[in-house]
Amino acid sequence: MSAAQGKLRENDSPFLLHQHKRGLQNLDRMARYAENDSVDLLVVGAGAGGITLSQRLARKGWRVAILEKGPFWDPDRDWVSDEKGAGPIYWTDNRIIGGTEPIEMGKNNSGVGVGGSMTHFAGYTPRFHPSDFEVKTRDGVAVDWPISYWDLKASFERVEQELPVAGQHWPWGDPHDYPHKPHPVAGAAVKAWQGARDCGIEMRVGPVSITNGSFGHRPHCIYRGFCLQGCKVNAKASPLITHLPDAIEYGVEVRANCMATRVEVDDASGRVSGVTYVGDDGREHFQAADAVAVCGYAIESPRLLLNSTSRRFPHGLANNADQVGRYVMVQGATQVAARFPELMRMYKAPPPEVSSEDFYETDESRGFARGFSIQTIAPLPIGWAEHVTAEGHWGLALREYMRDWNHWTVLGVLCELLPQAENRVTLASQKDQYGMPIAAFQHSLCENDKKNIEYATNVMNEIWEHAGAQDTLKIDRYAHLVGGCRMGFTQDDSVVDASHRAWDVPNLFICDGSVFPTEGSANPALVIMALADRLAGLLDAKQVAA
Amino acid sequence: MTKRVFEDPGHLPSRGTWDPGQLPRQRKGVTPQMHGRYPDYDVLEQADHWDEVTRRLVLDRVHNVPPLRFFDEAQARTIGAFCDQLTAQDDDPKIAVLNYLDEKLYENKGAGYQYFDLPSDQEVWRTVARGLDEEARKQGRDSYAFLTEHEQNELCHRFAKAELYGAAWATLNVSRAFKVCVRDVCEQYYAHPWAWNEIGFGGPAYPRGYAAFGNPDLGEEEHWEAKEAVDVDAQKDVQAKGLD
Repeated sequence: MSAAQGKLRENDSPFLLHQHKRGLQNLDRMARYAENDSVDLLVVGAGAGGITLSQRLARKGWRVAILEKGPFWDPDRDWVSDEKGAGPIYWTDNRIIGGTEPIEMGKNNSGVGVGGSMTHFAGYTPRFHPSDFEVKTRDGVAVDWPISYWDLKASFERVEQELPVAGQHWPWGDPHDYPHKPHPVAGAAVKAWQGARDCGIEMRVGPVSITNGSFGHRPHCIYRGFCLQGCKVNAKASPLITHLPDAIEYGVEVRANCMATRVEVDDASGRVSGVTYVGDDGREHFQAADAVAVCGYAIESPRLLLNSTSRRFPHGLANNADQVGRYVMVQGATQVAARFPELMRMYKAPPPEVSSEDFYETDESRGFARGFSIQTIAPLPIGWAEHVTAEGHWGLALREYMRDWNHWTVLGVLCELLPQAENRVTLASQKDQYGMPIAAFQHSLCENDKKNIEYATNVMNEIWEHAGAQDTLKIDRYAHLVGGCRMGFTQDDSVVDASHRAWDVPNLFICDGSVFPTEGSANPALVIMALADRLAGLLDAKQVAA
Repeated sequence: MTKRVFEDPGHLPSRGTWDPGQLPRQRKGVTPQMHGRYPDYDVLEQADHWDEVTRRLVLDRVHNVPPLRFFDEAQARTIGAFCDQLTAQDDDPKIAVLNYLDEKLYENKGAGYQYFDLPSDQEVWRTVARGLDEEARKQGRDSYAFLTEHEQNELCHRFAKAELYGAAWATLNVSRAFKVCVRDVCEQYYAHPWAWNEIGFGGPAYPRGYAAFGNPDLGEEEHWEAKEAVDVDAQKDVQAKGLD
């Protein structure tokens, strides 16, 4: 067996799926733990962090259960090739958004159900660069991570095999190859590539976690263009299909339709004792656990901790230093669409095709710290309407720009925005259907952010000029969500240590995008899964007692 | 190679107003107001290539227009006229945007966020209905729907520029309310297959997928995909395609 194959034997998920049916086939063998049976680890959130961590630990004999608010998806039964019909796979429970640059939630950045946000993400899975872990040291802004790129490299390689990631040899950051070769590129994306080449900007195909060739029992991609609405083909990776089948074989239980409302702590010992949740039956339950890993992503992890008040933690679990919910980051994701005489037909082929990290690292001559990546985007009709209306068109103008849709192709950027203490998640007064306060997310840009976004937008315009665009349309928007329970060196400016453990709660771990001290110019999915892989290694080797 | 009518961008809104009357008439299937760029394309002809779950959902959307349950009669009259302005639907056949919007608000299929200076989506829409009728009364009409087409359009422009003042408008951030309205209306309009015919969208593509998307030997489009209108004599074209 090839090295890649050998590695795969530590995760049989691709072979546990069915050749033709897309839903998981081994649910009948899934473990069922009693609520008073204290599992070794109780995970909150069945997404990129939660499922990967569970699969690794279950392989080492840990008894693990996962609570997930949303349903246990079956792509055949539940997902549709339709933008409006895909509504249920996004977290559309309400959140209050404020600040000078409020961040739209829901389908923009929040998933729900088993598989989490990766069920609707476009598929880009780049690595971080070494510089991302040393931004304070290198650029004098933000903070350093308490770990380095080299602590994660082996995890990146392992997870890339398991997704699998397809793309050309990657020349940026720590150069590397990918297990699956680059996908064919649609005409719409080639247009951007030509413009970039003409400006001397390098682009490469990928990196996307979409099979290019079959992978175990997962078929290859059929280029249908509905990645953001859930992949009915099982070609695009999500932990639902890349890790959970194997996790279930080794005793992981997923309790879907269960909303965690409080992490309970024993005030005497200061250790967590389990999680209170509202079950499928609408009634309150409690699952005992020796240790808890909160993996609810950058809005729900802080919300859960802030709601878990007690005598020992009056302002929320692990929040005695008032750090929970702070330093939440999004990326500046402005997009510029360009119009051409021939038909582009953006609806075909996956939206993520070609990207560039030429501007990823800081370059003092630009006048701001850090940088941005450039990626091809391909909005479907409703997405395109949001782009057209962003410049204020409606009525006749809206109809005409929309009729023109097949002539357009879109580039987007991911600008690294800096962490700010006041960009934060707090609890609003309004309550949700579980009686739990909903999250409020306050967000504003700093000067460095604005300069970065402005510079990146000009680069996109330059690319389209060189490509010969007849017209352009711009939309300012934001992508992804990280931070809120960040990793750090000391208790007073972070929530968890380098081993994802809450500073003052010995058996509470946080393992999702909320632990990022900085966000890079990369989509966070691969980094989240690599962090989970690393944490599992620490926990297993008892380097970190749970 | 026959030159395609829409190769050059002269028709784009950024280059002045464009009269949809110049658009080709729809010859196959339905588009709103029966004009569009792809006169011989009907996405519904591809329905048996779609997966069962998607087909049921999309065909139900076409055939079963939801009844009004959220808006009362007066609100529906006002919001219906407002939706027609936002989508420039001045004639039948029309996509029943009002009914799909009513379903979304009644079933609380929210977007997942609420601006700190706006009430819930439901309350935004009720306030907009009240505010538009307030403006109509200033012009001697009981309802926004009773204004002339031009007066309705004029009010839309003022709403888009947040130049509306008065009791209802004072309770929310007017420019953000307009964005929420446009977001909700576009989601209903561009989820409908008639709009897909108008813009040449291939529609659901599972389990078939695509092979021809720019690969030199496979070409730019599948045989069934929408062909944009060409600049030829309509008479010859109809006969050549045996459409009449």
